[in-house]
Amino acid sequence: MLTLLSMFYYICLRRRSRSGTRGEALTSRRAVESGQRAVLPVSVEVEQYAKEVLDFSSHYGSENSMSYTMWNLAGVPNVYPSSGDFTQTAVFRTYGTWWEQCASAPLPFRRTPKGFYSKDYIELGFEEPVYPTAVEVFETYYPGAIVQILACSHNPFTQNPPTDVRWEVLWSGEPTKVLTPQARQFSPKIKHIGFPTNLLRLEVNSSLLDYYTELDAVILRGVKERPMLALYKMPIIDISDLSDSEEELSDVGGPFRQGDGKHQRTGNGYFDKLPYELIQLILSHLTLPDLCRLAQSCKLLHQHCCDPLQYTQLSLQPYWARLSDASLGHLQSRCTLLQRLNLSWTGNRGVLTLTGFSSFMKACGLSLVCLEMSCCHFLNEACLEVISQTCPGLQELNLSSCDRLPPQAFTHISKLTRLRRLVLYRTKIEQTAILSILTFCIELRHLNLGSCVRIEDYDVVASMLATRCRSLCSLDLWRCRNLTDRGLTELVSGCRMLEELDLGWCPTLQSSTGCFQHLARSLPRLRKLFLTANRTVCDSDIEELAASCPCLRHLDILGTRSVSAASLKKLLQSCPQLVLLDVSFCSQIDMRIVQELSGLFPNVAIKKSFTQ
Amino acid sequence: MLSVLSYGRLVARAVLGGLSQTDGRDYSLITASYGFGKDFRKGILKKGMCYGDDACFIARHKTADVLGVADGVGGWRDYGVDPSQFSATLMKTCERLVKEGRFTPSNPVGILTSGYYELLQNKVPLLGSSTACIVVLDRRSHRLHTCNLGDSGFLVVRGGEVVHRSDEQQHYFNTPFQLSIAPPGAEGVVLSDSPEAADSSSFDVQLGDIILTATDGLFDNMPDYMILQELKKLKVSLQHVSLCLYVLETNSNFNAFFIIASRFRLPTMTASCRLHRALQSKLMILPTTLIICPLLHSLPVTMA
Repeated sequence: MLTLLSMFYYICLRRRSRSGTRGEALTSRRAVESGQRAVLPVSVEVEQYAKEVLDFSSHYGSENSMSYTMWNLAGVPNVYPSSGDFTQTAVFRTYGTWWEQCASAPLPFRRTPKGFYSKDYIELGFEEPVYPTAVEVFETYYPGAIVQILACSHNPFTQNPPTDVRWEVLWSGEPTKVLTPQARQFSPKIKHIGFPTNLLRLEVNSSLLDYYTELDAVILRGVKERPMLALYKMPIIDISDLSDSEEELSDVGGPFRQGDGKHQRTGNGYFDKLPYELIQLILSHLTLPDLCRLAQSCKLLHQHCCDPLQYTQLSLQPYWARLSDASLGHLQSRCTLLQRLNLSWTGNRGVLTLTGFSSFMKACGLSLVCLEMSCCHFLNEACLEVISQTCPGLQELNLSSCDRLPPQAFTHISKLTRLRRLVLYRTKIEQTAILSILTFCIELRHLNLGSCVRIEDYDVVASMLATRCRSLCSLDLWRCRNLTDRGLTELVSGCRMLEELDLGWCPTLQSSTGCFQHLARSLPRLRKLFLTANRTVCDSDIEELAASCPCLRHLDILGTRSVSAASLKKLLQSCPQLVLLDVSFCSQIDMRIVQELSGLFPNVAIKKSFTQ
Repeated sequence: MLSVLSYGRLVARAVLGGLSQTDGRDYSLITASYGFGKDFRKGILKKGMCYGDDACFIARHKTADVLGVADGVGGWRDYGVDPSQFSATLMKTCERLVKEGRFTPSNPVGILTSGYYELLQNKVPLLGSSTACIVVLDRRSHRLHTCNLGDSGFLVVRGGEVVHRSDEQQHYFNTPFQLSIAPPGAEGVVLSDSPEAADSSSFDVQLGDIILTATDGLFDNMPDYMILQELKKLKVSLQHVSLCLYVLETNSNFNAFFIIASRFRLPTMTASCRLHRALQSKLMILPTTLIICPLLHSLPVTMA
C-alpha cells in the first residue's frame, strides 16, 4: 500500500514539475543551473501528533477505559480549543498539595536538587524520528503543570533492544499557575539537540494548580535532516557535562592512586583545623553530583564524601536518565548505612538489571527502612525476591505503577513483616497475594490498593484488614470495583484508627444501606474521605459526617445529585479543620452556592469543576 | 502520521482527477445521515447527529464501517431528565470507541458494552435510557455483524426484497429493552437491560445491498412494501444524487430521523447539506428514523 502511495506521489510530483508550477524541485534545479547556493532550506519541517503513549506514572481514569486516561494524549486533539473537564483528555491522578498533606505521604528526601520539580511523567512515541524544532502541548484545563520536556535517542518502535539510550532535556521550567483554567497551546522554546528523536517525555508538577490539569495532544515539529551548523552548535563536551555523567560517579578512585605513595603529610589548609563533624555538616547540603565531584578534589574530601553517614538517605529519582548498573556499583561501598532509598523512575529500557540491583541491595539492604520504586519497569519477580531477602527491616515499600510485575512476584512481600507503608497503585497484584501480605504484615499503617484491578473480591480484603491490620491509618481503595457495604462495615468496625479513606469511583457502595453513616460514626478520627462519583451520597451522610467527624480535612463528593447546600453548610460549620471540599458535578450545588459558601468559610477550598 | 496523510491527499486528488480503477477487494459503505425530531415543525433542529430523542453515528476504522442508532426513552421527560442526553452521549461514545479502534468488528455487542461502561466513567452524572442498534461491516470478510437492543432495528434489502431484518425486543407494549442509568434508589423500579441481552447476528452481504437502520418511528409507521417502494427510487450511480421523499402521516408520538444514502463524488459533508436543504423544502411530515447505505466498491483512499 505504501509503495503504491509513493508511486502516486512520484507521478504527481513529476507531473507538477513538468507543468512548470511552483515546486521545490523546480527551484532547486534552477538554483543548480544558475550555480548559486539554494535559498530554500533543504529539509522540510514535519509535524506529528503522538502515535502511542508508551509509559506514564499515573492517571485519573480506569485501567480499561478511554475516559480521563493517559492514552488520550496520543493522536489529534479531541477537545482543544474548548476548555473544561472532558473525558477525552489525559488527566493525572493528583493535583495541588492535598496528597502531600496526608499522613500517608512519604517524607521528602534530602538533597533533592533545586531544579527538579517533576511529580508525574508521560512518555510518547511518534512515527518518525526528527531533529526537534518545536514541541507544542495542548492543555485544555488548568494549564501550567509541565516542568520538563525530554527527548530520547532510542526509537521505541524498533525491534532491537535499546543500546546507548540517551535522554536530553529540551526544555525545563518551574511549575506555574495560570490565572484562568482556560485552554492554551503551550510551546516553550526548546534546545536543539544532536540526535533525531521520536520518543518524548513530559514531566509535570501540578502543585500550584487549583484542580486537575488536563492535556489533549502533543505536537512534535522537527526536520528530517540534520539542521545546518548555523542553526545549532556542535555539542562540545565541557567540564560541566563530564561531571554530570556517570563517569564522575564511577571514577572517584582515579586521581588518588598515584598520590598515596608520595605524600604522607596532609596539606589541606584550614580544612585540617575543622572538626570532622563540621565538614560532614557542610557536605550534607550538597546535591549528589556535587558530592561526587567534590570527592575527586582531594584525599580528605574524598574520605568525607565517601563516608556512609552522608548516605543515610539517597534519592536517585532526579537522575533517572543517567543511572545505570555501573553507577549503583560505585555507590555501593558508601551505602552501608542507607535507610531511605528512592529509585523511582530509574532503570527503564535496560539500564538497570537484576545483577546490578541485587548486588546493590545486598550491600545496603540491611539497614534499609524505606524503598521507593515507583514506575521501575526493570523489576521482576527475582528483584522482589532479592528485596524480601536483603531488607528484613523494611517498613515502607512503594511499587506504584510497576505494572509489568507479574502477579506471583507480590507473594514475596509477605516476608517483609515489619512493613508499615505499602503502595501498590496500578499493579497486577491478585487476591491470594494481597491476603497473604495482610496475614503477615500486621503492622501496616498505610495501604494503597488504588486501581488494583486484578483483586477479585474486595470485601474479603476488607474483612482481612479488619482482622489483621488493626493499626491501619490510611487506606486507598480508589476504583476498587466490588467493595460493598458489607466489606466497608467490617472494615470500619475493625480498623478504628483509620484517618484517611479513599473510596472514589467505587460503584457498588450504596448509601441506602447506611454504610456511610456507619462509617462516620465508627471513625471519629477521620481526616480524609473521598466518595468521588458515588452517586448515592445524600444529605443524611453529610449530616452524620458533620456530627461525628470533627477532624475532617479533605472531602470529595463529586457527582452526587442528592446533597443540598443546607447539609454542606452544617458540615462546614461543624468541621473547622476542613480545607478541601470537592462538589464538582453535584447537581444541587451550583456556582452561586459555591461562592456563597466560600464567602462564609474562606479557609475551605471548594472545588467545582465544569465541562464548558 | 501526517506525512502519510499528505501522501494520501495527493493520491486522492490524482484518483478523482482521472483514474477510474478501484480496488474491488474491500467493500465499504457510502452513507449520509439526516433526520429531525418532533419539533421539526417548529424549526428546531439539534446540531450534529442528534434528532429529537434519537441519536446516531457513522464511523470508520481500518477494516470496518460502523453505524449506530439509539432511541432515547421519552418517559424520562416526566422526571426532569432530558432523554436525548443519554442516547446522544451513548452514540458519541461508541463513535469514539470505533475511531480509536477499541472494538472487534465481529463483536458489535462489545461496542455497546464498552460504550455503556464508558458512560458510567463520566464525571457528569448521566441519567436516562435508550435502545441501541449497531451494525458493523467488516470490509475484508464482507460480513455484516449486527446487534440490536430494543425496538430499533435494521433491514437489509437486496434486489428489492428484505433478506435480513432484526427482531424487536420488548418487555411489554411501548417498553422496549433499553440500556439505562437510573437515579440512586430507583434501580429496582427503572428498567435496565444489560448490553448482553442484545440480539446479535452475522451474515454475508453483497455489492448493491442496501442496509437500513432505523428507530421504531419508521417501522411503526411504514409497512414493508412502502419502505421497499421508496428504496427502489434510490438510484445509485456515479453521476448524480438521488433523493428519497417520504410523506407520512402526522404522528406526534414518534420522533423522526432518517438518512438517505447515495453515491456521490463530492465529500460527504457537502452532499448531506444539499440533501438537507432539498428535503426541508419538499418534506411535510416525517416521523421516522433510518439510515440507508448501499454497499459499493471502495475507493482506494478514504477522505478522512
